[in-house]
Amino acid sequence: MISVKKVNNKPLNLLERIYLYEIARGIAVTTRHFFANLFNPKGLPTIQYPEQPVPLYGNARFRSRHRLKVRSDGSPKCVACFMCQTACPAYCIHIEAAEYQENSVEKYPAVFNIDLARCVMCGMCVEACPEDAIAMDTEEIPGGAADRTEFLMTKESLLRNRPGEPSLKGAANRLANEYLGSRGEQ
Amino acid sequence: MPTITIDGKSIEVEKGTTLLAAAQKLGIYIPRYCYHPKLSISGNCRMCLVEVEKAPKLLTACSTEAAEGMVVRTTSDKVKAARRDVLEYLLINHPLDCPICDQAGECGLQDYYMDYSLARSRFSMADKVRREKRRPIGPNLVLDNERCILCTRCVRFCSEVTKTSELEVMNRGDHSYIDLKEGKALDNGYSLNIADICPVGAFTSRDFRFKQRVWFLKRTKTVCLGCATGCLVEAHHNENVIYRLVPDPNPETNTWLCDHGRLTYKALQAGDRLKKGVIKNGLIELEPALREAATRIDEARGAVAVMGSPWLSIEDNAALARLARDSVKTGDYCFDFNFEQGIKDGILINKDQAPNTAGVRPVKAAYGGISMGELAGRIASGKIKLLLTEARAAALLKDALKDSGTRVVVFAANRGEIPAGAYATLPYAAYFETPGTFINYQGLRRRTTPPVAAPEGVKPLWDVVNKLASYSGASLGLDSGDDALKGISF
Repeated sequence: MISVKKVNNKPLNLLERIYLYEIARGIAVTTRHFFANLFNPKGLPTIQYPEQPVPLYGNARFRSRHRLKVRSDGSPKCVACFMCQTACPAYCIHIEAAEYQENSVEKYPAVFNIDLARCVMCGMCVEACPEDAIAMDTEEIPGGAADRTEFLMTKESLLRNRPGEPSLKGAANRLANEYLGSRGEQ
Repeated sequence: MPTITIDGKSIEVEKGTTLLAAAQKLGIYIPRYCYHPKLSISGNCRMCLVEVEKAPKLLTACSTEAAEGMVVRTTSDKVKAARRDVLEYLLINHPLDCPICDQAGECGLQDYYMDYSLARSRFSMADKVRREKRRPIGPNLVLDNERCILCTRCVRFCSEVTKTSELEVMNRGDHSYIDLKEGKALDNGYSLNIADICPVGAFTSRDFRFKQRVWFLKRTKTVCLGCATGCLVEAHHNENVIYRLVPDPNPETNTWLCDHGRLTYKALQAGDRLKKGVIKNGLIELEPALREAATRIDEARGAVAVMGSPWLSIEDNAALARLARDSVKTGDYCFDFNFEQGIKDGILINKDQAPNTAGVRPVKAAYGGISMGELAGRIASGKIKLLLTEARAAALLKDALKDSGTRVVVFAANRGEIPAGAYATLPYAAYFETPGTFINYQGLRRRTTPPVAAPEGVKPLWDVVNKLASYSGASLGLDSGDDALKGISF
C-alpha cells in the first residue's frame, strides 16, 4: 500500500492573487537586510573564507594543514624514510633524500613537497611516521587558491614548530639525540 | 644416494647434499643468513637450525649432509622457538636504523622478524653494543658495522670469488667486527656484489645510496651489455629511471655482476645523453639532422662505406646491412669483427669489450661484405668519401680515418662516444630503451627487455636507418626490429 498524504492547501486570498502586493513585500524584506548589512557589516554571519580564517572550536583536534617538526638545531626531524609517501593514498607527497656529510643522522629530505590540492587530509602520513616528524596540527584548514601552485607546500613552508613546543630533540632518533647532544643542544 | 624425509616428504638426493639444499628441492624454505649457494658453508648464523630425529640437538641445515633414513622437521615447535631465539640474539645489538637504511624493504632481519619472530625486544636501547657508523669503504660501498650480524658472507666472497681477501673479522666475541685488512682497499672489480649478498644493511651501495626506496622499484629482467660475457641482470627502475642493476643468477653465465657492468646504466642518465642530432659540434633537431645526413650520403653516392658495430644488436646491424645493400647500393660495407673472446679475470669480465661480436657474424654470413682491413685500406687511400657507422666502431678505424678526408656520419647514444672529427651524429635508443638481440661469447642468444623508454623522439637504430633510406628515396620496409632479422639465421 502506498501511503497517500492529502495536503489541504489554503486557497489564495485576493491580495495574494493580485501578485504585486506580495512582490513589494518581498522586496521590502530584501531591502531591509541590504541596508542593515550595509550600515552594520559586523553583524554579517558570512565568513570571508579563506582570507578570513575560522578559529577552530576550543581544544578541537582536527587534522589540519601539515607541518614538519624541527630539531633544536633547526634541522628537520624528518629522515626521508619515505614511509609517509608510501602510506599516502592520494600520492600527494614527494620526497627526495640527501645525505648529511657531518651530521650522524645521515639522511635528510632535500625536497619535501605536499600537494594540498591532492591531499585528502586522512592523516596516514602522521600515523606512518617513525620519527614523529610530521604533524597535522597547525589548525589551518587549506582554503581556496587561484592557482594550483599555491597548493604546493615545500619543505621550507612546512618546517615549523608550534610556539612553545617542548622537547625539540630528535625524539625516537638515537643518532639525532647524540648528534645534538655532542653539539651541546638541549 | 640417501633417501631422507623432510616434513613428511621423502626425497632421494645425491650423496653430500646438505639438508638445506634438499629442502629447497622439495620447495621447503629454511631461513638463512650466512649460507649462500655459491660461497663456502660457514654455519655461523644458526638461523637454519632444524630438528633431526635421534640427534640430541638441533642441527644447522646448511652444513649437515643428508644421510640415509634421516627424518627432518623444519616446522616443529622446537625449531620455531630456536628461530625466534636466534633472531632475538641477532637483533640484540642491531640499531633501529630502518628509516635511514637502504636495505629496508629487502632486509633479511626485517623479513625473518616478520616471518619467524614478532617478539618484543627485551633489551634496552642503552645497552646495545656500539660500533662505527657509516664509513665509505672502497669506491662503491659504505660500511656500517653497527648493522652487521657477522654472517661473514662478504669475507668469504672476497676470499673465494675475487680471491683478493680484503675483508676480515677483527677481534673476538662481542667485540668482533668486519674491517679491511691492513693496507688493502676494497676496490676489486666486483665489490658491489657484497652489497647484494649482505643480508642486512651493513654494506650498502654508494651509487644507489638514498636514491630510492626498494619497494618503489619495478624489476625487469634483461641483459648486461658491458662486455661480451652478456650476464643476465635485473634492472630496478621506477618512473622511467633505472636506479640499479643486480645480477639475475643463472647456471649458464653468471651468479655475480661486475662493478663496471652494474654502472653501465648510468650512460642513460648522463648529461651527455644525445636527444638531438649533432652536425659538427652543434645540436640540431633530429629531422633536419637526418635530412642533412641523407643529403651527404646521396652526394657521396658511389663512395660511401657502411660499417656495422659489435656494440649494436643484430637487428641494428642487419638494418645497416640492408641500408648499404638496398639504399646506398654500395659494396663497401663491413661486418667483419674478430675480437679475442674469453673470460679475462677468471670471474666474469671478458677480453672483448663489445657485447655483440658473435652476433655480427650471422649478419656477415647473410650479407657478406668486405673485411675490416680492406675497408681501412680503402679509407686510407681516399676512395671512401663518407663512412656511416656506429660511434664506438668508428674509433676502430681511427688510424685509417686520420688525414683521409673521409666524412664520418655516426650513430651515438652519448656525446662522449662521438669520435673526433665526426661530421654528423644521429642519436638512437640505447640498450635499456629498446629490445635487441645479442649473442654472447658462449654463443647464447640473449634478448634484451627495455625497462625504460627512450627520450622523446629518439628511435631505435633500425628505425633511424629506415628513415635515412626513405630520405634517399629507397624503402627498406622496416617496421619493427623483427623485420630487420628476416633472412638472418642464427
